[in-house]
Amino acid sequence: MEQTDEVIRSAADIVSEYFTAPMRTLLEWVEPFAAQVAQLRSTGPLTQAKLDPLVEPYALQTLALDGVPVYGAGFIAAIDLLADAHSHLAWWQGADRRQLVLASQTVNKEDIDYSALEWYRVPMTSGEPHVAGPYVDYLCSDEYTITIAVPAEIDGERIGVAGLDLLVAAVEKELTPRFMALGHQVTLTNGVGRVVVSTDPRVATGDSVRGGRLASLPRIACEGVALDVIVEEI
Amino acid sequence: MEQSPAPARAAAVPVDAPSPHDARRHPHRLQGSLFQPIGDEGRAELVERRLVDAITRGHLAAGERLPPEADLARSLGVAPVTVREALLALRGRGLLVTRRGRNGGSFVADHADPLSFTREAVRAASRLALRDLGAHYAAITGACVRLAARRADPSEAQQIRQRMQRLGDLDTEQRRRLLDDVQIEIVALSQSARLTREQMKLQAEISPYLRLVAHESEDALRQGEHLAAVADAVEAGDEESAVIRTELMVDETIDALISLQVRLN
Repeated sequence: MEQTDEVIRSAADIVSEYFTAPMRTLLEWVEPFAAQVAQLRSTGPLTQAKLDPLVEPYALQTLALDGVPVYGAGFIAAIDLLADAHSHLAWWQGADRRQLVLASQTVNKEDIDYSALEWYRVPMTSGEPHVAGPYVDYLCSDEYTITIAVPAEIDGERIGVAGLDLLVAAVEKELTPRFMALGHQVTLTNGVGRVVVSTDPRVATGDSVRGGRLASLPRIACEGVALDVIVEEI
Repeated sequence: MEQSPAPARAAAVPVDAPSPHDARRHPHRLQGSLFQPIGDEGRAELVERRLVDAITRGHLAAGERLPPEADLARSLGVAPVTVREALLALRGRGLLVTRRGRNGGSFVADHADPLSFTREAVRAASRLALRDLGAHYAAITGACVRLAARRADPSEAQQIRQRMQRLGDLDTEQRRRLLDDVQIEIVALSQSARLTREQMKLQAEISPYLRLVAHESEDALRQGEHLAAVADAVEAGDEESAVIRTELMVDETIDALISLQVRLN
């Protein structure tokens, strides 16, 4: 019993450390970035062409982060922040760190409405950093993704979110050995009970733990991120 | 006799190792399918076909300005001269016009009407091809909604349902775009990136047909009703209903297309 207590705490610590490191990186640049946007806005209308070069160095810096497999990074503007677009993603991703070009931003001039998507909606509403997912990211990475997003503010006005993507496959590869070293089955879930990673091969990423065998096992929340760990003796 | 060298055994490709193509991958969002990189070959004909598809499917509207050649080249992963060749061919076909001067550039021709293109495609298609498209679409989309019903949290399906509330206020074009988006969001709830990518390609292909059917139909809201019912089934965790309703929607669409084909011929 005591051992499980210790293990579950260690598992939760592993998770908190793993996700708060990249979150810290975003928190470190979001304020200077917001200040630069405020400065830019005071000199004239804020356009995509003016915003993107501001975001780029921060995005590339985030992509270069050591010890975390960051796949994509950048800034997603609040709806109607920009003068020349209803919505806008300034995003860099992939092994060659290219800027994302979305057809709807260049061709149709059709606006992508990301306002309902978890990685935007939650930080913009709560004002707090958020770890969204796992989910299928059909906008940016095209893969099963976890997105960390922190809101950017100018004098209390939320101007958008600074974010980064982690591919769940990469997170699985990194967390599984750390969990296995604890000698128990460890399952990491999100706020709606969806499995992010599990050492137990019977438990699939993407499945829900609600109403299943794991629902009744010892579980605690991880500090700093809205994720839980469930632990089971092998 | 000369012995030919033993064929090199292909190395097993790890399932999620990034390929060189992946490194340049662009989003597969429905409207973004225009910009999936064509590849190293990048022939003008492929660019031409890609642009024609975008026009006929309504992703590039009549009178719409194309992005600058350099941007198109970059997004498509081809040389600018290849883009230029393709645009020239499309001008020759009357699908694009060029305007010079300050607001110059390449524009989709004013008469380029996606509905007429689609009507012509239906008229010229075989029933076999239409039914097979339906079978393919139903199989993939059905598999996705089944998984979505199994794996989605009810709150996620509710979010999508809420997006559909304003359907009645939209025109045919806006409605089709919202329904395409909603379909993809439901499919993404399957938690399968592979299936979602597959389904998005099929959605891009079938979307102009769905638009045409809605346009020709007396019941303009029928497609929305189907999708709302699928979202409800996903919310309830009812796999069978989600699949059956999807298959019904596809059957109705293909039947409507075949009836239309008879009228057009």
